[in-house]
Amino acid sequence: MSEETLQRENKLEGVGASRKRKEDARFIRGQGSYVDDIKLPGMLFGAIVRSPYAHARIKSIDKSKALKVPGVVAVLTADDLKPVNLHWMPTLGSDVQAVLADKKVWFQLQEVAFVLATDRYTAADGAEAVEVDYEELPAVVDPRKALAADAPVIREDIADKDNVGHGPRTHPNHIFTWEAGDKAGTDAVFASAAVTVREEILNPRVHPCPLETCGCVASFDKVRGQLTVYMTSQAPHLVRTVVAMLSGIPESKIRIVGGDIGGGFGNKVPVYPGYVAAIVASIVTGVPVKWIESRIDNISTTGFARDYHGIGELAADSNGRIKALRFSALADHGAFNAHVSATKLPAGLFSICTGSYDIPKAYCRVDAVYTNKAPGGVAYRCSLRVTEAVYLIERMIDVLAQKVGVDKAEIRRRNFVKPEQFPYTTALGWTLDSGNYHVALDKVLKAVDYDGLRAEQAAKRASGQLMGIGISTFTEIVGAGPTKVCDILGIGLFDSCDIRVNPTGSAIARLGTMSQGQGHATTYAQIIATELGLPSEEIQIEEGDTDKAPYGAGTWGSRSTPVGGAAAARAARKIKDKAKKIAAHLLEVGERDLEWDVDRFRVKGNPAAAKTMKEIAMAAHTSNLPDGMEKGLDATEYYDPPNMTFPFGAYVCVVDIDKYTGETKVRRFYALDDCGTRINPMIIEGQIHGGLTEAFAVAMGQAVPFDDNGNHLGNSLMDYFLPTSVETPKWETDFTVTPSPHHPIGAKGVAESPHVGGIPCFTNAVVDAFAHLGVTHMDMPHTSFRVWQHCKSLGVNKR
Amino acid sequence: MPAGPAAAWEVLADVELVAACMPGAKITERIDERHYKGTVTVKLGPATLSFRGDVEVKQLDAANRLLSMAAKGTDGSGSSAASLELTAVVRATEDGSSALTGSCQASVSGRAATFGGRMIDTVADQILRQFAANFAARVQARQPPPPASGPQVPAAQSPPATSPASEAPPAAALNAVALLWVVAKQWFRGVFSRKTA
Amino acid sequence: MAKKQAVSFKLNGKDVDVVVEPRELLIHTLREKLQHTGPHIGCETSHCGACTVDLNAMSVKSCTVLTVQCEGACVLTIEGFAQSGELHALQESFHLDHALQCGYCTPGMITRAYRLLKENPNPTEEEIRYWMAGNLCRCTGYQNIVKAVQSAARKLSSAAAA
Repeated sequence: MSEETLQRENKLEGVGASRKRKEDARFIRGQGSYVDDIKLPGMLFGAIVRSPYAHARIKSIDKSKALKVPGVVAVLTADDLKPVNLHWMPTLGSDVQAVLADKKVWFQLQEVAFVLATDRYTAADGAEAVEVDYEELPAVVDPRKALAADAPVIREDIADKDNVGHGPRTHPNHIFTWEAGDKAGTDAVFASAAVTVREEILNPRVHPCPLETCGCVASFDKVRGQLTVYMTSQAPHLVRTVVAMLSGIPESKIRIVGGDIGGGFGNKVPVYPGYVAAIVASIVTGVPVKWIESRIDNISTTGFARDYHGIGELAADSNGRIKALRFSALADHGAFNAHVSATKLPAGLFSICTGSYDIPKAYCRVDAVYTNKAPGGVAYRCSLRVTEAVYLIERMIDVLAQKVGVDKAEIRRRNFVKPEQFPYTTALGWTLDSGNYHVALDKVLKAVDYDGLRAEQAAKRASGQLMGIGISTFTEIVGAGPTKVCDILGIGLFDSCDIRVNPTGSAIARLGTMSQGQGHATTYAQIIATELGLPSEEIQIEEGDTDKAPYGAGTWGSRSTPVGGAAAARAARKIKDKAKKIAAHLLEVGERDLEWDVDRFRVKGNPAAAKTMKEIAMAAHTSNLPDGMEKGLDATEYYDPPNMTFPFGAYVCVVDIDKYTGETKVRRFYALDDCGTRINPMIIEGQIHGGLTEAFAVAMGQAVPFDDNGNHLGNSLMDYFLPTSVETPKWETDFTVTPSPHHPIGAKGVAESPHVGGIPCFTNAVVDAFAHLGVTHMDMPHTSFRVWQHCKSLGVNKR
Repeated sequence: MPAGPAAAWEVLADVELVAACMPGAKITERIDERHYKGTVTVKLGPATLSFRGDVEVKQLDAANRLLSMAAKGTDGSGSSAASLELTAVVRATEDGSSALTGSCQASVSGRAATFGGRMIDTVADQILRQFAANFAARVQARQPPPPASGPQVPAAQSPPATSPASEAPPAAALNAVALLWVVAKQWFRGVFSRKTA
Repeated sequence: MAKKQAVSFKLNGKDVDVVVEPRELLIHTLREKLQHTGPHIGCETSHCGACTVDLNAMSVKSCTVLTVQCEGACVLTIEGFAQSGELHALQESFHLDHALQCGYCTPGMITRAYRLLKENPNPTEEEIRYWMAGNLCRCTGYQNIVKAVQSAARKLSSAAAA
């Protein structure tokens, strides 16, 4: 490439450039526009009265004292919502959920009444004054006891239903049983295998806990019949559809506006009762209504993740070559099945649990149950159930390595899907489009001097010190998804991009996704810049306002780049096709005589004869166009991906454990990620830092605990672990590039990989520190106290 | 206090009366002479911390004019807890009036503790001032006012127009739990003074 | 309802007067009465630091300060950082070092880092991590925040030396 071409290319700041973020300008000045920053004239504030009990009948609700608090405008209960049929709402998991508790409460801090007042403080005072008389019922807290014959029935409202959207139910507290793979074939392999291993594997209940809680401002214009909702939603278009179904307002009269979002991590995908209550309140009062969750409400009632109680088994030959895997899990979905998953995939993408390995036979089964806990089951920085799946396989392969006495890196090499096997169809039916696992692992092992680390570990063990080396070589599945397998409420999980090029060559692109810190305004512009040869600086990106953007399923499950990014590239290509026709017309040559050169079409063999995209953009708005061609230069793409994408990575974590205090110090964490084509390396690195930090949080400290009565035992930031800058390790990042063959620009998505791949890496490191003592099992989170208890039970910390 | 020790002791010894001096406090149940149940409500920002607790009068020593009690309470939402042990003594001062002195051990945990010393100090200050004013007023009401040349009345400074901590008017019943905030203040001071000690 | 009180203080160098209930928290006064929505609410328990402001030359979490405590005080929020359109070195370095993603913690982070650099103009990485531990970030993993504070420290100290 000539110097001049290179200069032109750099000027575009397209794919591959570590372009500084467009979003930052407002945030560093404190000028972001988050939902709680919105203040509309006459706005009322809503506060929710919540249940102190996990399971109770509501005998009565007395609003009278609350209504006497000066400034309180109204108190809404289920009985008030009933006439408009809004006391229940559909969930994203094919179930229904009470908007406000209807005669019963099913989990602690459940929404019981909605108090409307002139300001935040008065609303809180009003909520305090609502008197609710409860009759407490026995609660089901442990999912393993939910299906007992004498277990209290949680959902009397659906007791007579033998199916809640995902197949037959066998018990009033049973939601569904989902299976994948060849059970008989797998069982047969296990029966005759040289080696088998079995381990209980727990992913405790955790919460994504974005720094901004959930909230909305609902504003119903009675005269126009128009509902506008400013909302912390990762999927504004899906929310609009749900609100339309729920309220009966035509979808065209509903506008959901995303605004700036202070982190989502899966917490902001579902539709929550607070949103619906605020919408109803605004419709009733005709003035805007704001509802903002407190932190305790956020952790206690909205979108938890995991709560997967699994058992993993592997069958292998004596060399550690895996022959079959069998996984089962009990999933605690809380009181309503509000987990976010595609209709046909009630256990999400759990069937990616064969990981990066060539495993001939596999079978897995998930049983989901109701308990008296908050509903949810969102994907916390992952696609649904992918963390659980990857955690299972990456833990199990370590257990197998210890059993057969093979090094934990070597056993992975022996089982990896080989580069020549791609595209590789797993025993559970996914087609891994690309991968290069051996290269990635070897690069990492070399970078950390793996052999040196193992030698050091051996020496430390000899002197009674605890040092662990964790490896994780994961394969992710992201980019939901092909509409033939992925839909929510019947809507396919495609995504969209609408690009309009202005006469002077700047452009605006609108997408159905929704940034929450990922930097879409920066990176989507880079994709379009490279495709169209227009500077990314002059490409404006808009998302989140359903009146402006084309329909899409939003941003979650790392789907923005695989689906939205693909839509952007393909919409740009439609524009480019038209531009080529215009260029040929202007240059008076045939299209075949033209070639693309960074930002222009030029005549082959005569580079001086060229038309830049900017010139073409102007021409597209004049009369000088080919006969019959429409004016303008724009295009819309609705992209339905042919397959998921499968980012992968190889991570190594080194920990030193103080056996007297249980304190685990992460000495080193080296993360190599392969997310295919890299759009913005700076942003990718930032995403990996963040994802690893969230993985660290989950593995080392996060859990949402309950007592036997279903009371929360830690639902504020006093107890729920969010790592500070002091605890957070330093991250080292690296990459390989294996482009996705089916994605228009070869990109795969990256944000969740470090979370999904990181969690087992930490656990593997902690367990590895005790591996020489025969330990294969330690449950997350690995807090100092628990590790210390473990040391004590092993007797390794006797002075 | 602008009254003799005997009058002051009369108030201190009457649990119900002491309660009435404490803004935001309420005795909800008298179990027996020595055991009470009560609440203290404190509003900070939009949050209402409502401590519900048990009060036990451990010692009521008229000879020495000494009251000793213990209280324990939790916030209704279970997110905060507080406990205290308190000893209060009425002493005669040289000029014939009296002073209320005492000591206590208190702890605040959970959400209430997160408000930190900076705020609790100020809040406790306000409550203390109001309590002192109310207490002194009650004591004074029990005997004729001292002569004009009498001692300076420390609590006679006009009570603050409002308490930042509580919106409720002084409740009718005493409650040792109500002393929590006074105590909390001393406790936090202790924490900070240790640094400089 | 308790009687409201008038409170006057300096906000980003300008005199402001507000009338508030005694229980009102500074964060709510700033955000709802004074239209300064830069400081955010993240936890209501002093843990996350999203509401950090500078109060009389101290970093404080404005979700646990009563507005009535601010009588006569000097309050600095993120809105007071850019002087006549020119960004503060910290704002600039947060942008250049990619020290923010969703942006929710950023105003508090920058405000805290400002006080850190006033008190310790050349902090080590460890000192930065320790001094910034009262401000939580869920997106960045802190690595680039530390880097940005270091960059700003260098910039400020070379400007001071010049």
